Amino acid sequence: MSALLRFNHLGFGYPHRTIFTDLDATISKAACIALVGPNGSGKTTLLRLAAGTLKPDHGEVCLRGESIDTLSHRNIARSIALVPQNVEVSFPFTVQQFVEQGRTPYLKMFGGMSGADRDAVEHAMVLTDTIAFRNRVFNQLSGGERQRVKIALGLAQQPSLLLLDEPTQHLDIGRQLELVDLIKRLHRHGIAILASMHELTLIEDTFSSVWLLDPDEEMLQGTPSEMLRPELLGRVFDCPPHSGPVLLKPRSKHPERVRV
Amino acid sequence: MAGSVEDIRSDAPSQGVFYHPAGYRLLLGILAALLFLGILVAACVGIVPIPLRAMAGIFLPGHSLTGDQQLILFSIRLPRILAAVMAGSTLSVAGLLFQGLFRNPLADPYVIGSSGGAVLGASFGIFLFPQLSMAGFGATAFLGVAGAICSITLVYMLASVNGRTPVVALLLAGFAVSTMLSYCSYFLEIMDHDFGTGLRVLTSWLRGTIAQPTWPQLAVMAAMLLVGLGASFPLTRRLNTLALGEEYAAHLGLHVQQTRIAVIIVGSLLTAVAVALGGLISFVGLIVPHMMRMILGPDHVRLLPATALAGGIFLLVADTVARSIIAPSELPVGVLTAFIGGPFFLYLLRQAKREVFA
Repeated sequence: MSALLRFNHLGFGYPHRTIFTDLDATISKAACIALVGPNGSGKTTLLRLAAGTLKPDHGEVCLRGESIDTLSHRNIARSIALVPQNVEVSFPFTVQQFVEQGRTPYLKMFGGMSGADRDAVEHAMVLTDTIAFRNRVFNQLSGGERQRVKIALGLAQQPSLLLLDEPTQHLDIGRQLELVDLIKRLHRHGIAILASMHELTLIEDTFSSVWLLDPDEEMLQGTPSEMLRPELLGRVFDCPPHSGPVLLKPRSKHPERVRV
Repeated sequence: MAGSVEDIRSDAPSQGVFYHPAGYRLLLGILAALLFLGILVAACVGIVPIPLRAMAGIFLPGHSLTGDQQLILFSIRLPRILAAVMAGSTLSVAGLLFQGLFRNPLADPYVIGSSGGAVLGASFGIFLFPQLSMAGFGATAFLGVAGAICSITLVYMLASVNGRTPVVALLLAGFAVSTMLSYCSYFLEIMDHDFGTGLRVLTSWLRGTIAQPTWPQLAVMAAMLLVGLGASFPLTRRLNTLALGEEYAAHLGLHVQQTRIAVIIVGSLLTAVAVALGGLISFVGLIVPHMMRMILGPDHVRLLPATALAGGIFLLVADTVARSIIAPSELPVGVLTAFIGGPFFLYLLRQAKREVFA
């Protein structure tokens, strides 16, 4: 298991609020990690630090052993694709035009798209099942379609690591499952994944490990069954354990703990 | 997968005949032909009509222009026509660039005060450094560009919130800055001790009248136009990326700050050309890119050549109408574009109402 991305003694804070003091973590080439934590615990911040759009206060993020600070955004974007939570596009671009923007890190100073660029865009749309609505306007898509198109833009970057910021947010249960299937498919294609997730029920079958952001302590890491225990979740999310079906569902493989 | 009903619905404006590459080339061909036709017709129209047959004498033997006709055509009418075409073209492309920069289809060189900045800068040149002159422009042209750059930078800083410019903020900042600039120009007018040329130029600028440039002046303007258009080309693709938002564009490897500065400089250069040739002409930079966007979709790369051509046609037609509807008097073309563009602007504003009153 070789390290693709490493957080080395990472510290980061906003004015009046510290998020990370000494974060150490590694994303391997075959990782499929769910990032879990309460609102404001730093999930999006961590994804931005990983993508190099935020600079840590101390420590460093290393991509294949090289400090991300020494790499240009262009260079980083060829290895790491960040799919943001909300994208507001100011003009009625079509899905295809939107996905084509993923080729930005590959285009020359004065050049346009080459055949290889077009192939990458096509492939990204095939993988995400978005090719059928390539000519529709991005801003008019439904939530589930929009999410897949955003991922297609990320895939057009041909990344080794895909960072997803709440990919299942605002989706109905059917679209959530569709999206989780897509994540599995991409993982099988050899893309490492780090996704922040609020839907804890979707994690166990999809992700191989969980990073749990505890607002009071450093981040916890483990397998889904180690991390998604009602007592632990109850403490981290500051709610009574076993108080809702969501906190119970992850343990459903151990029926003795489930209370009806 | 997604329902088939959903897939059939296609509201994309880019679905028309002109969407595919062949159709796009056809559109450019049509626009170029219309521009040529427009120039021919406009050359015929005027107080002294020049018949189309006589015009053929320029190209073909057997027909010829009379001496008077030749004089009118080459020293009055053609320079005026080319000035209108170039002013329309530069205004429209500047509008396209600024709309991409502000991520807002209501940005127009006049509305956001960049034209006003160019007028003020150029007025400084005329009133304070009148002796500095090169091919009839010199300090004036340079200060015009500088004025446009300063005013748009100011409006941008005032109006942008996290890289987005809300409609209200943009309009208010643009309104305030352009009002101040116009009245500064009036102030300069009062300060003028050498009554005459400067005042006349300023008055026609503030009204938006297409100038009667000399051929050397036209050559300088044409050179600036070509430089501006050439420099716009690599920027168009970057404006597409910028449409995703500042942070996302930066993540994708776009140099956001460099792109912005380049757009401001190139757009200001184009605005200054337009102001030198026609003064404060409102809303052309709004109407033309919008019409082209309805036909071609929002891709700035495809929009640039089409907008440049259509802008030339639009202002040429407007100016020809303006100088002939009340002949022998002349209407400043700025008055005409305000009459057409004002309601159009309000229509666009109404479209954006949800954002305005949200």
